Amino acid sequence: MTSNPNLESPAEDTVKSLDKAPVLVRLSQIHKHYKGTTAVEHVDLDIRQGEFFTFLGPSGSGKTTTLRMIAGFEKPDRGHITINGADITRLPPFERDVNTVFQDYALFPHMTVADNVAYGLQAKRVAKRDIPDRVAEALRMVRLDSFADRLPSQLSGGQRQRVALARAIVNHPQVLLLDEPLGALDLKLRQQMQVELQRIQREVGITFIYVTHDQEEALVMSDRIAVFANGRIEQMGTPVELYERPATEFVANFLGTSNVLQRHGKKWLVRPERIRINPTKPVLDMQSYHVESGVLREVEFIGMFTRYIVTLSDGSTLLIHEQNLDGFTVREQVRREESVWVSWSLASAYELPA
Amino acid sequence: MTRTHRSRLWLSSASLGLFMLSSSGIAAPVAPHYPSSIGKGEGQLNIIAWEGYAQPEWVKPFEKETGCRVNAKYAGSSDEMVALMRQGGGSQYDLVSASGDASLRLIYGGIVQPVNVKLIPDYENFLPELQSPPNNTINGIHYGISYEWGPNVLLYNTDKVSPEPTSWAAIYSEQYKGRITVPDNPIQIADAALYLMAHKPELGIKDPYELTRKQLDAAVALLKKQRPLIKKYWALASDEIELFKNGDVVIGAAWPYQTNALKAAGTPVADTVPEEGATGWSDTWMLSAKAKHPNCAYKWMRYASTPMVQAQQAIYFGETPANKKACSVMNKLEPGSCQKYHLDAPASYFDKIKFWKTPRKQCSDGRNNCTSISQWQQAWQSVMQ
Amino acid sequence: MALDKALPLGEPQQSPLRSLAIAVWRRPALGASALLAGPMGWLVLIYLAALATLFISAFWSVNDFTGEIVHSWTLDNFRQLVESSVYPHIALRTIGIAFAVTLTDIVLAFPLAYFMARIARPKLRAALFAMVLLPLWSSYLARVYAWRLILSHDGVLNWFLLELGLPRAHIGYTNWAMWIVFSYIWLPFMVMPIYAAIERIPGSFLEASQDLGGRGLRTLRKVILPLAMPGVIAGSIFTFSLTLGDYITPVLVGGPGSNFIGNVVFSNVGIANNIPFAAAFATVPLVVMAIYLFIARRLGAFEMM
Repeated sequence: MTSNPNLESPAEDTVKSLDKAPVLVRLSQIHKHYKGTTAVEHVDLDIRQGEFFTFLGPSGSGKTTTLRMIAGFEKPDRGHITINGADITRLPPFERDVNTVFQDYALFPHMTVADNVAYGLQAKRVAKRDIPDRVAEALRMVRLDSFADRLPSQLSGGQRQRVALARAIVNHPQVLLLDEPLGALDLKLRQQMQVELQRIQREVGITFIYVTHDQEEALVMSDRIAVFANGRIEQMGTPVELYERPATEFVANFLGTSNVLQRHGKKWLVRPERIRINPTKPVLDMQSYHVESGVLREVEFIGMFTRYIVTLSDGSTLLIHEQNLDGFTVREQVRREESVWVSWSLASAYELPA
Repeated sequence: MTRTHRSRLWLSSASLGLFMLSSSGIAAPVAPHYPSSIGKGEGQLNIIAWEGYAQPEWVKPFEKETGCRVNAKYAGSSDEMVALMRQGGGSQYDLVSASGDASLRLIYGGIVQPVNVKLIPDYENFLPELQSPPNNTINGIHYGISYEWGPNVLLYNTDKVSPEPTSWAAIYSEQYKGRITVPDNPIQIADAALYLMAHKPELGIKDPYELTRKQLDAAVALLKKQRPLIKKYWALASDEIELFKNGDVVIGAAWPYQTNALKAAGTPVADTVPEEGATGWSDTWMLSAKAKHPNCAYKWMRYASTPMVQAQQAIYFGETPANKKACSVMNKLEPGSCQKYHLDAPASYFDKIKFWKTPRKQCSDGRNNCTSISQWQQAWQSVMQ
Repeated sequence: MALDKALPLGEPQQSPLRSLAIAVWRRPALGASALLAGPMGWLVLIYLAALATLFISAFWSVNDFTGEIVHSWTLDNFRQLVESSVYPHIALRTIGIAFAVTLTDIVLAFPLAYFMARIARPKLRAALFAMVLLPLWSSYLARVYAWRLILSHDGVLNWFLLELGLPRAHIGYTNWAMWIVFSYIWLPFMVMPIYAAIERIPGSFLEASQDLGGRGLRTLRKVILPLAMPGVIAGSIFTFSLTLGDYITPVLVGGPGSNFIGNVVFSNVGIANNIPFAAAFATVPLVVMAIYLFIARRLGAFEMM
């Protein structure tokens, strides 16, 4: 563990070690229908021991339903779910070695923080004398040791979130399921909790399955991500894989923003931050760069970067992000409705699979 | 709220309460101020009556003849009658068909006023016993006009009870345990006293409505012993009818009205006045001290005393008229009914009946050691539990 | 300009309604008092005044014969209540049956309310609602009379038992009959608040309990029951107080020895015209309810509302 987890990318250094980790959760050919609509179909997933795995997708894409099937709140119509090789498809929630952090936290309002955290231990008949220590340990981990006797109504949103987390991890489950746990928090707190969650995951070594619709959150936190759309898994991979080599236009657009261009009968993807804009034609090696002219439609100052919208000669629209570095910026040299030149390195363009 | 506010509120609500309660208590009997003749009707008449006392058969002709529209309110008990007569300061109703256990309360409560019997022609034809009976006449002042009378009978199911019971002992003995019903009414203590008069003469009861503490205790002891035998104490005549119909009870204390109703419904019942005699009622039309329609009220009392109405009423309810001349009309309406209800030979029959009257602290011999209605009420409560 | 004419903010028109509206907006207390003037006036005048009158008259007495009320202070009514063997007995019976009815209704209403709130689909739920509420559409008296027919000697229940070759049940006109009838007629008043309380429990609470290893019984005991408690308490206040104050059912379906406080009050008002004694006895349910509410409060029943 480093002193500042913010500076390192968890994805980079843990993925390698996880490659060889055994499969913990396996979903095979999961289908789920609700009265005429398909919620989930053809879902196959392997989640490895110790992984931080994220289900990413828009609402209604099937990610939450899949999570709830792992928790046991829903029964799949077809397919199997195994944990450590044991089939749990038909087990009730209270027989599964998984715990859930709910979107609304679902803290019991009539119990103190300590009682909430102790609930699972009591239900599992952990020896009475061990319970206080384990509760205290869990609360220490989420830094709420001094709040043990409060009621949930006396806590802030972020604190409740952490109680929900403590209540789950105190049971040392094999898998921790998190259903948009940060959705109700404001941006600052959310970013703080993202760091906190990663720290805790590494500390306890429990496999996390994390549901979110926030692509940035997914990219920051996950070892691997499964992108859900219309009840299916669109693509699965590490954040870098998904960002750099999206399998579909949907994934390309859901993770970050993309320009998708039709060239030579194929679809090409260029990320806005990889395109450069010039008032005049730049002098570049045409072997490794693509250069083209267009008309500037919009210039927007976003803060960290400037956004340009350019219409190309074939009528397609191009989005460009230019980092606002100190000194030179194109923004002052171009005008709307005048012609500009755009360029990108050929290595930055990625051909979408057909 | 401040302290002063609170105490002011307390005071104002307290004085409101005082006002509400003080208006309900009125002093002693009302002095007579008789009209010399019956004036023009006021067009309306409000009466409180026993169920079956304002049947269209005789109310319709009255309305047609006098132009007084009759609004009748049926009451289920003497106590309800007294309560209704007190209502609204006593001016809401003009007349009440009060039984003997209510009449004295109405008189001494100042709720009813003396009536000029000279304005009632049929008064002359009344049984002598009912011209100035103690339940409506005090010191020669008539506080109403007698109407009909009858005994409280022993009613029984002829299929389940045989031979015919001849003594009230039938409702005090184990034989019909759990299948007996008697009225839920403190005046029922008099029935027990009547039974004790015959079976425990050593108690010295002379009048079942004038009981010393010791005699009252004896009656209550008998009634408490009776309680485990009772299926249900009935509150309304219709309750008792239903109990007999459904087979819940086979014997009990009743009015002839119930007998008539049950026979009409096809239930095999009969009634009898047992050898000990019976308690009974003698009803009086009484005029409210604050009657708003006194002329219509006098017209009604005059009309209700005529042989025709007296006969119709007697046959309908199963009771006996006050007017001797009703006999022939009764026989015309229902052959043999004059004899059936003992109007032809009333004197001996009349003596068998101990008519309801309000128990008072002062006994008729002037001594002050009798028990009052409120003591009876409490005693009855201890029987009922 | 046109905009200025459309929004005459500079010079407000002086209509009385408008100035009133502004005054209320500036001083919210004014609005609140206007809102509460009616109901509070009603409460104070009618309700509190009646209670005060009741309480004061309990210290008066009544002239035995004329029925006149004697306005001199006395504790006789209360002494009579306590010293008599009858009245404490009647009070205990009333409270005991009210208690039994409340317990019975909780036991009957809870599963029904739970089923309606959490399990039944909308159509079935609507049907159950109608069934629970249907009896309230008919007269109280009609329903009690209906029970009398069911429980009487030759009634539906005994007909049924005889058909099955069983002996007759002698339930009619007993305290058992009162217990059954009270439990039946007040059941909707227990079902509705419990239903409302259970329906308000978020589904995620139940899932969380299961998720943490809680089986059905633990979830019921530790999560549903405590959270439904306000509904149970609210319902029990209804069933307890309604039973405590009733006097019609004891008359209609009770047997000998079935009198309630209300019957004694009624007969003292109606028969003996002894309003002071009736008032004294009527303070008993008042005190019992006060104690009941106090205990409920101490148990924290009102905190979750």
